[in-house]
Amino acid sequence: MNRWLILPVLVPFLTAVLLALLNGHPRLERAVNLVSCAGLTVFVYWLLGHVDAHGIQAMVIGGWFAPWGVAFVADRLAAIMLCLSMSVGTVVLVYTFFTVEPRQERYFFHPLLQVLLLGVNWSFITGDLFNLFVAYEVMLLGSYGVMMVGASKPQVRQTMAYIAINSIGSTLFVMGCGLVYATLGTLNMADIAQRSAQLTGERAALVTAVSMLLMVVFALKAAAFPVFFWLPDSYPIVPAGMNGYFAGMLTKVGVYSLMRLFVLCFRQPGAELVLEVLLVLSGLSMLFGVLGALCQWEVRKILSWHIISQVGYMLMGIGLAASGADVAQAGVVASIFCVVHNMVVKSSLFLIGGIAGRISGSQKLSEMGGIAGLAPGVSILFLVAAFSLAGMPPFSGFIAKFVLIRAGLAGGHGVVVFVSVVTSLCTLYSMSKIWNYAFWHAPSVSAPLGRYRAMMLPTAVLVLSSVLMGVVAEPFLRLANDAARDLLDPRAYQEAVLLPIPEPTTAQTSRLGGVP
Amino acid sequence: MALVIGSMFAAGTYMILRPSLIRVVLGFGLYSNAANLLLIACGGYSDALQAPFLRDGADGYMDPLPPDIILTAIVISFAVGALLLIVSYQVYVDHGTDDPENLPRDPLS
Repeated sequence: MNRWLILPVLVPFLTAVLLALLNGHPRLERAVNLVSCAGLTVFVYWLLGHVDAHGIQAMVIGGWFAPWGVAFVADRLAAIMLCLSMSVGTVVLVYTFFTVEPRQERYFFHPLLQVLLLGVNWSFITGDLFNLFVAYEVMLLGSYGVMMVGASKPQVRQTMAYIAINSIGSTLFVMGCGLVYATLGTLNMADIAQRSAQLTGERAALVTAVSMLLMVVFALKAAAFPVFFWLPDSYPIVPAGMNGYFAGMLTKVGVYSLMRLFVLCFRQPGAELVLEVLLVLSGLSMLFGVLGALCQWEVRKILSWHIISQVGYMLMGIGLAASGADVAQAGVVASIFCVVHNMVVKSSLFLIGGIAGRISGSQKLSEMGGIAGLAPGVSILFLVAAFSLAGMPPFSGFIAKFVLIRAGLAGGHGVVVFVSVVTSLCTLYSMSKIWNYAFWHAPSVSAPLGRYRAMMLPTAVLVLSSVLMGVVAEPFLRLANDAARDLLDPRAYQEAVLLPIPEPTTAQTSRLGGVP
Repeated sequence: MALVIGSMFAAGTYMILRPSLIRVVLGFGLYSNAANLLLIACGGYSDALQAPFLRDGADGYMDPLPPDIILTAIVISFAVGALLLIVSYQVYVDHGTDDPENLPRDPLS
């Protein structure tokens, strides 16, 4: 029993409370926030090493054994995600020290940031479907707060739409939880994997239908086709710096949940149908995302549309899990690697976009220009991150796409592979458009409008780690490989979560006859 | 029960699709309550079943977990509903209209 697993949730929670009390002392708030983030980052890296060495760690809360109690489970995938969440979170926090306005800090920017981290970490580490819903709500409430912190008119207007769409998604999520409980009689993820594998016939088809509802919910959060329309309208409005965290983490929480539920949990006969649907959606997401990006002329908008096409790559990896064992393994590895690569690169691109905006005073390509001459360092960072996103060797994006396309070809999914290659080319074109208009061309300003040098340090950390992932890919791929194996074969996960306990004697009643 | 849930969802969908922010908020309220009713239905609601207290002569008891889930869901939908209401009011104050069609176009482009 590893009770330290509560820390990634408990620390942000206590810090948020403390920061709310400290409101009005910006220096102290920043210090507390940074210490908390950095400390937790160190812990989650230790956790990753521990899980990698000693296998999956699990704890149940309140002495109720799983599957009844709420379980917190750290397998390799969850630990990797926690590491990324906290690293990107810390880097973004340092970056926001240079961008956040005093008005935003007064309106509880720091506590809201911690609430957001709390929700994200929680959704990674929980092993219970309904608990995942609660984690999502905490994350979403934090993100609503951060999105409209300071409450300027455009912020409030765009956040309204974001809240409305997400609250409808949450309602569907609650329904999905209820229906899973009605059909399977459990909400614990390890137990869902166990029980769904035993189903046959109509029962299995019913569970597949219910899981399809959950698929829609997570596709909405991940901004996959056809439910992506909310993202390009809302992300650009997030305060500079924080949009790096939003872009890097929030959609990936949806992708992570899809991976967790549809690769690990739902194993009834016919569950492949959901994965096949995901594969089709992935191709459409890639295509629509990149086409949307091509017709945008605002840096943040272009980058937001690219999130959608990148989510397509991750879904493609998950979709490949429906194929044979080897292809499934390779697909999930590719998907994990894409998520990791994208969290780092996408965040850094948004941070660079923020710096470019600071230098030229605008985010519109028509009003930018000549940044390569004004700030050569920033342009090098952009070039590296953009090439990495487009999948040029030797950066991490190349490895991610290479593994993915090889898996796709091995599975015989030529169409999706073709779409992904075309999308890659269009991404390169779209990045070169930003490069062309914002970094080359005649300078729009004679000197940088704002101080930007300090902002480069946190950005450079992210860009460098992306390069590192590409150049020294071996250990990262090995980790992704092990994480994928844990997902595809649920036995280790079940052993860690479900303790051998006697079967309940009294039959519970459920109208749909969930509990046998 | 199924009819009630279905019509609440239909009404909620209709409200959300109306061009008015306050109706979106109310539609969300209908949605979340319809979802709660659905959870009750999932839990095997019936007059014949009793609360889960052990005593002699009880044939079966209601599953306590769905009410538990509903309780959590009510609290959360209450918080989100309140936030949604405040934000839609602020949009109304800022722009003098609650018709999304009349709001200024995307402020960034």
